Amino acid sequence: MKKIIAYGIIGVCVLTIEASVFSFLPLDILKPDLGIPLVIFTAFFLSPQIGLGTALITGVIQEIFSNAPHGAMVFMKISLFLIALFLKNKVYIESKYSFSLICSGSVIIESFLFILLSYLARGETGNVINILLYTIPNAIFTGFFSIFMYTLINAVNLKFFSED
Amino acid sequence: MKKSVVIIVAILILVLSFFAFTNTPFFVKAYGSIRNGISQIAGPALTVISKPAHAIKNLAITYTDLINIKKENMVLKKKLDDLLLENQKIPELEKENKRLKTVLKLVEQNPNSLIAARVIGEDLSNWFKSIIVDKGKDHGIKEKMPVITPAGIVGQAVEVNKWHTKVMIINDTNSSVDVYVEGKTTRGILEGTGKTVLKLKYVLKNDEIGIGDKLVTSGKDSIYPRGLPVGIVITANRSRPGIFADIEVMPFNNFKRLEEVLFIKR
Repeated sequence: MKKIIAYGIIGVCVLTIEASVFSFLPLDILKPDLGIPLVIFTAFFLSPQIGLGTALITGVIQEIFSNAPHGAMVFMKISLFLIALFLKNKVYIESKYSFSLICSGSVIIESFLFILLSYLARGETGNVINILLYTIPNAIFTGFFSIFMYTLINAVNLKFFSED
Repeated sequence: MKKSVVIIVAILILVLSFFAFTNTPFFVKAYGSIRNGISQIAGPALTVISKPAHAIKNLAITYTDLINIKKENMVLKKKLDDLLLENQKIPELEKENKRLKTVLKLVEQNPNSLIAARVIGEDLSNWFKSIIVDKGKDHGIKEKMPVITPAGIVGQAVEVNKWHTKVMIINDTNSSVDVYVEGKTTRGILEGTGKTVLKLKYVLKNDEIGIGDKLVTSGKDSIYPRGLPVGIVITANRSRPGIFADIEVMPFNNFKRLEEVLFIKR
């Protein structure tokens, strides 16, 4: 529980800072999904409970700070957590660079998940061009930022929870 | 907790979020209440974090200015540097002062109908276009209130909490505004594209509209009052198949540079 709260707080802080600081950047393209590195890290390296808690918290916070429809971000974060959980024993993350690559891949999966969700739930994908337009830049920037996120989360993990 | 239990809980959350996404009234209501509760906590955090973020931004501007001035004034005495540093802040303050004066003027003209708010955050995702402002329920803001600046309309309030309000900008793909061409009878629906440029739809090819025409709100969508400036027509293509013209509109506001906005009381 302690860990879920700790990673939840990290998620809230990172996403709040992103919502505030990134509003100063004039480019829409520079918007990494900083929730993904958290979800991937907790799903791959920590227990499933922490992964689920983090995915839920980051999903809800992203919805609060976004105009995304109800349930969309939570659905995608939980889906990514489940995919990561199933790949845990099949994919080996040996460095922050392979972690970054997986985060980039997750952004692409997330985009297609959203399109699929819109199509299945509402029978329309009006936003599809907009989503596809940003998929690759989002994947690149999320991958780039996830290198730093990996270092940060790993440092927090080693400093405060290394005994586990 | 076993891994299988976690997976079952995760699937359960997936199903619930899926139903919330489908706009099933019961799920939307329940989900909205939970989300509102959580955002009451996240709101003050954003307000607190946005202050140092603003300070960092101002610091960055001051720093850039300092470098430029230093290059130009290499020959000047070192004593003047402190004075120059102070002077660099003045243009930025003047700009802010000018901007705030325009907002204040508008508020003074309509003292009981406008609420001024400062932009403290932006949508986390570039799939959607929204801003977060530092005024909420406590300041009299309600959902669907139109949001403007002295330049023109910005959008409408979509989620109001105690501390802050989420405003859907008119270039969001879910936004549409009923507009007409100023000085003419041509009407259309202005839809967001997720990009800077907006699309004016349902304007017939033989309707009177051209490049440079100004669009204003018609007041017929029950959200925006009549006569608010929206944008200017930048392309009007009548050569495409179909009965409607393909029209692109540039909004008067630069939504990436919004600092203060005004809510119109309803």
